[in-house]
Amino acid sequence: MSATPRPTLWLVLLGAVLVAALAGLAIGPVRLTPLEIWDALAGRGTVTAVAIVRDIRAPRVALAALVGAALAMSGAALQGTMRNALAEPYLLGVSGGAAVGAVITVALHAAFVLVPIGAFAGAVAAVVLVLAIARAGAGRPDPRVLLMAGVVVGAFANAVIMIALASAPADSARNALWWMMGSVAGATWTHVGWLTAYGALSGGALLVLAPEIDVLALGEEAAAALGVDADRAGRRAYVIASLLAAATVAAAGLVGFVGLVVPHLVRARAGHRHRAVIAAAGLAGAALLIVADLVARTLRAPSELPLGAVTALAGVPFFLVQLRRLR
Amino acid sequence: MHRRSAFLDLAVVAALVLLVGACDADRERARVVAETTAATSTYTIRDDFGDTLALRTPPQRIVSLNPATTELFFAIGAGDRLVGRTHFDRYPVEAQKVPDLGNAIQPNVEAVLGTQPDLVTLYASASNRDAAARLRAAGVPTLTLRIDHIADFQRAVPVLGRVVGDTVRAKVVVDSVTRTLDRVRAAMRGVHRPTAFWKAWDSPVIAIGGGSFLSELVDIAGGRNIYGDDPRPSFDVTIEDVVRRDPDVVLAGPESGARMRAEPAWRALRAVREGRVLIIDTMLVGRPGVRLGEAAVSLARLLHPGSIP
Repeated sequence: MSATPRPTLWLVLLGAVLVAALAGLAIGPVRLTPLEIWDALAGRGTVTAVAIVRDIRAPRVALAALVGAALAMSGAALQGTMRNALAEPYLLGVSGGAAVGAVITVALHAAFVLVPIGAFAGAVAAVVLVLAIARAGAGRPDPRVLLMAGVVVGAFANAVIMIALASAPADSARNALWWMMGSVAGATWTHVGWLTAYGALSGGALLVLAPEIDVLALGEEAAAALGVDADRAGRRAYVIASLLAAATVAAAGLVGFVGLVVPHLVRARAGHRHRAVIAAAGLAGAALLIVADLVARTLRAPSELPLGAVTALAGVPFFLVQLRRLR
Repeated sequence: MHRRSAFLDLAVVAALVLLVGACDADRERARVVAETTAATSTYTIRDDFGDTLALRTPPQRIVSLNPATTELFFAIGAGDRLVGRTHFDRYPVEAQKVPDLGNAIQPNVEAVLGTQPDLVTLYASASNRDAAARLRAAGVPTLTLRIDHIADFQRAVPVLGRVVGDTVRAKVVVDSVTRTLDRVRAAMRGVHRPTAFWKAWDSPVIAIGGGSFLSELVDIAGGRNIYGDDPRPSFDVTIEDVVRRDPDVVLAGPESGARMRAEPAWRALRAVREGRVLIIDTMLVGRPGVRLGEAAVSLARLLHPGSIP
C-alpha cells in the first residue's frame, strides 16, 4: 500500500462515474438510441424523449451520484475521526433523527415539500443530542462515547418512529415507510441544486480538514504531540460529516451501507492519507449509487425496489469480500 | 470457518425471507358462499373464511368491521341495528353516529365483545382469522366477507339481506346497481376506448391493476386500463413505464392530479401535456358499494363527455 495513490486510480474512478452516468441515462423502460439521448440532452427531439432524459433520468442519475458521493465521503471522514472501521453516518444517530423528522412531518400531513426540511431538522437535533450526551457522559467527545451516544439516540429515534407509525393513519404510514426505504425516484433539479451546493461546501470542508483527520486517526497522544486539538478537530469533523449525511437523507431518504462499505473498498488503492481516501470514496460512491439506482428501477420492472434495499443487498457481498481480505 | 459461518448466516436470512414471502401471499380467494335454507327458520351461510353461520333469528346488535358491509347494512335498512363500526366507516352520514370500535384489520376483540353483539361482520383478510376465531370462541357469530370485485358485491348483498331478514330490500339494492351498470355498459358498446392510467398514489407511484374493481369500472365506463393485464389490484410503477405505455388519459384524485400538473417529470406523459388529467371523486369510488352505479356513470361522463344524460 503506497502512501500516495497512483494517478491511474483517479482516471479509473472518473471513468467509472462517467460510464455509470451514461448507463443511467441510456437504460430505462422506453428505448432510446444514443443519438436520441444526445439530442434530448441538448433539447432537440420529441417532447417525450426530452422530458424522459432531462426530467426523469438525468435528475435521478445526478441525485444518485451526489448522494453516493456525499455518503461515502461522510463515512470515510467518520471512520478516520472515530478510529473505527465500522463507523458510518447512520450509526451515529443521524439517520434515526432524520427519519423521526420526516415521519413526524408526514404524520402532521404537512406539504410534501416540507419533508426534507423536517428530515434535516431531525438530523441536526440528533447530532446536537449525541454531542450533548457524549459531553455529559465523558466530559470530552471520546470517539467511543460518541459512538455509544449515537447508538442510544438511534434506538430512541426508532422507538419514536414506531409510535408515530402505529398512531398515524394508513396512508401516512405508507408514505413515511416508503420515504424511509430510500429512493431517488422523485429527483428534481431543485433537489440536485440544493444538494450540490450543500455537498460542495461540506465535502470541500472535509477535504480541507483531511490532514487533521489523518492525525486523529493516529490516536489522541499522537494528535496532542503534533499540536492538534483532538477534541475540537474531532467535533468539527463529526458535525460536518453528519450534516452531510443528513442532507442526503433529506434528499433521498435512508440509503444505508454506502457510507460504511465504500471507504473500505477504496482504502486499499487510495492509501492512508484521508484527503485521497475521502476524494476517492466520493467518486466511487457516486458511481456505485448510480448503478444501484439503475438496478433498483430495472430489476423488477415496472415496479421499483427501494434504493436502500439494493445498497444493503449489494453491500453485503462486497463487505464479505473485504472481510476475507483482512484475514 | 469464518467464510462458512458467513455464508450460513446468509443462507438462513435468505430462507427466512422466502418463508415470510410465501406465508404472506394471501391465498384467500373469495369462495362461493353457499346458502341453504332449512325447514325451520334457521338458515346457514358459509362465509369467505369457510366458517358456517347459523342464525335462528335476525341479529339485532350487529358490529360491522368492514366499511363495505356498514354501507350495505344502511342501504338495506338495517342501519339502526349497528352497535359498532370501524374508524373508516364514514358513509352514509348516519354511520358516523354508530360507535367507533377502531380497526377493520386485526380489530380490538375486547372492544367488540364489550358491545355485546349477536353478529360481527369482518373483512376476509388473513390477518383477521385470529379475531374471527376468538369471537366465535366467545360465542359471537361472525360473517367474513371479501368484497373486492363488483361480482363480490353482487353476491354479498343478498347474503346480508338474508342475514337481516329482508331479502326483498336487498334484491332492490343489488338490482338497481346492476341495472345502472348495465345501462352504462350498453351506452359504451362500440365506442372508441381511450387508454387510461389510474394513479392511486404518489411516493411511490401506485397504479391500479386489473385485479381491482376500479379497473372493472374503467372497463364498464368505456375505457381501457393500461395495466389491466396485470392481475394485481395495485402495485408501484416507475413514471417511465407509464410513459412507455402512453395512456390517452390519466385518472387521479384532486391532490394527485394537481401534483401531476406541477411536477416536471410527468410532462413526459402525452396525456399530461394535452391536459387530459381527469379528476375523479375519490369519495364516490372508494370501494365496491351501493354507489357503484353512480361511480360508473361519473367515470363514463369523464371518459366520454356527453354520452350519459
